[in-house]
Amino acid sequence: MDTYALAQYLLAGLVIGIIYSLMALGITFIYSIMKMINWAMGEFYMIGSYVQYALLVSVLGPARWYLALPVSMAAVFLLGALTQRLLLRPMYVGVIERRDEYATIITIALMVFFRNLAVVVGGPNQYAPADYARPTAIGPLPISGNRFVALIAAVVLLTLFYLLIKKTWIGRAFRGAAQNRVGIQTAGIDVLRLDMLAFGVGVALAAAAGALLAPDFLVYPENGAISTFKGFEIIVIGGLGSIPGSVVGGVLLGVIEALGSVFLSPAYKDLYGFLLLIGLLAFRPTGLFGERERTI
Amino acid sequence: MSRCLAIVLLAAVGLIAPAAPASAQAPVKIGVLTPLSPPGDASAGQLILRGAKMAAEEINAHGGVLGGRKVELVVEDDGGTPEKGVAGFRKLASQDHVTAVMGQFHSSVTEAVQELAEQLKIPMFSTQASSRGITEKHLTYTFRTHVIDPDRAQFWTRWIVQQGFKRVAMIAENTDYGLGLSEETKKAFKAMDVKAELKAIIFDRAVVDLTPQLLEIKNWKPDVVLNVGVGTPVYLIIKQAVDIGLFPAVPMLVSYDLPARAEFWKNLGDKGTYITFIAYYHPTMKLTSRGEAFRARYREQFKEEPVYGALNGYAQIMLIAEAIDAAKSDVGEAVAKAILAGKFQGWNGTISFTHGDGPYWQQWTPPMLMMQYAKPDTPFADATIVFPPELKTGDFVIPKR
Repeated sequence: MDTYALAQYLLAGLVIGIIYSLMALGITFIYSIMKMINWAMGEFYMIGSYVQYALLVSVLGPARWYLALPVSMAAVFLLGALTQRLLLRPMYVGVIERRDEYATIITIALMVFFRNLAVVVGGPNQYAPADYARPTAIGPLPISGNRFVALIAAVVLLTLFYLLIKKTWIGRAFRGAAQNRVGIQTAGIDVLRLDMLAFGVGVALAAAAGALLAPDFLVYPENGAISTFKGFEIIVIGGLGSIPGSVVGGVLLGVIEALGSVFLSPAYKDLYGFLLLIGLLAFRPTGLFGERERTI
Repeated sequence: MSRCLAIVLLAAVGLIAPAAPASAQAPVKIGVLTPLSPPGDASAGQLILRGAKMAAEEINAHGGVLGGRKVELVVEDDGGTPEKGVAGFRKLASQDHVTAVMGQFHSSVTEAVQELAEQLKIPMFSTQASSRGITEKHLTYTFRTHVIDPDRAQFWTRWIVQQGFKRVAMIAENTDYGLGLSEETKKAFKAMDVKAELKAIIFDRAVVDLTPQLLEIKNWKPDVVLNVGVGTPVYLIIKQAVDIGLFPAVPMLVSYDLPARAEFWKNLGDKGTYITFIAYYHPTMKLTSRGEAFRARYREQFKEEPVYGALNGYAQIMLIAEAIDAAKSDVGEAVAKAILAGKFQGWNGTISFTHGDGPYWQQWTPPMLMMQYAKPDTPFADATIVFPPELKTGDFVIPKR
């Protein structure tokens, strides 16, 4: 096996795995606080890419993508918080009886709504912001400048998220809510407000992935679809509710897809991740870092 | 009580009265079933619709059809999926009672919808759907005025032979179009005794990361890459091929005229330079008088060059209207017979339909051109025609590494 070819595939897989783990992290973070799955994550990814594109072509110019990124994340954070407040909070104040079904229906409806809204507002065609960086190389391996920049940015965001969770007061509140939602209320935390913030943070991470990948994967209404199912693959592999699981799962998915592409065929690249998933679930149903839990 | 009766009588009169006028001046409806939203190629649908609308306006300005009846277009979005296409066609047939349907762009959708057209006896046109199966089924109500995949595959095989390429890689989408072209290219290589190797990789249309597939192609060291995607995948393939250093060092051919569109350079920046593509229209081509008039009106209205989809959409509506007049009827069955029997002025020649062998059944094929953008931001009007030799305006360029 040609080591150069193998290295190229591994690099490609690793880079994309880390970027997709942002999606997975968003999904798992929302789940750990709110105990619900947000099926519309891909659409927040898509909105992030649209906001990024709009900022770059109107106000900021193509060179200042690094300024547009936090702005798109903030815009989607606000949208997410508002969505949670209006549509999802009723689940937690005793108004809705069948919570899981409600969450599924609402988030799938949001998915359809946002996709079609994008067609109406932005038109059905694809857009592409200018490249964030010129094609470059890591050692002897060529890599898209955009993906290289996205990789660095993803690592920075994952680090910032880690610091948020481990080192700040609000991070401690999040951890508490994830461990024991009732208990945290006895400590005086407004858990409903925490839900809103958690949802906002989760979708902001998806928006970051969308904004970073916009020049490579283009901006169009359906661009979130594949990132949603990659995100879900990763959280099942890594364990639902586990933050290190999202990152490890992302890297593992990227590597497995790369190795499958090299040793078998790239035409079935997406299949290898699912084979890994099935195999893993057979031996470890909670995923790599997941835990069994009991709910009433 | 008498007040009640009066109200009831008034309501009854109100309901009956509008139904009373004879339907002599009711419009003749023609359906436009075309992709206007993802996952279909919505740009393509919009361009076809432009041409169709311009035709309807022209016909109505010249007195309509069947002695004064206006032509009304009823537009349905097939979204590029067979299910939506079939639902749209059913609605056009049963609710809108259209005389004919045109606008089909995606082969997968056309193959699903044509069965319904045959059942309901409504003539339908493939405006830009090119898989051979569409006309190979020899259905009575399916017509096409677009190139078919065997023609396309033979055209680029002739170019491959002329250029002396020995290793041909193809990356094709997993639709009737992509798979069909992959098969047709293999057949063309055999039929024309081409001594070149062909490597075809199929990808799923929903996938956005095509880097592993392109890396495999790059490591195979091809002389040329055939980009057989439709819509977004074309851009993804070009962008990602440039990022891994495959293109433009290895020339790439796009299988249809997407690079002719205005948004091509906006989406790709410099990465679109040196792309080669198949087109069926060029601003310097001589057209029929109807085509020239359309071109002038289009340029004035939209401030850009007409694109093939708009030209074809226009020509098909004009054709349908003439067939309706020839048949002296707006009933699908009669119109279909008139279409088969008649000769019509298209934008690039005289259109007529015959019952040939294989896919050449009710099929009219326009000529093809191979174009190249040799510099960044080249407007479509300035693209070089590099093949066929009798029509070329410049040489094919491969940049030095």
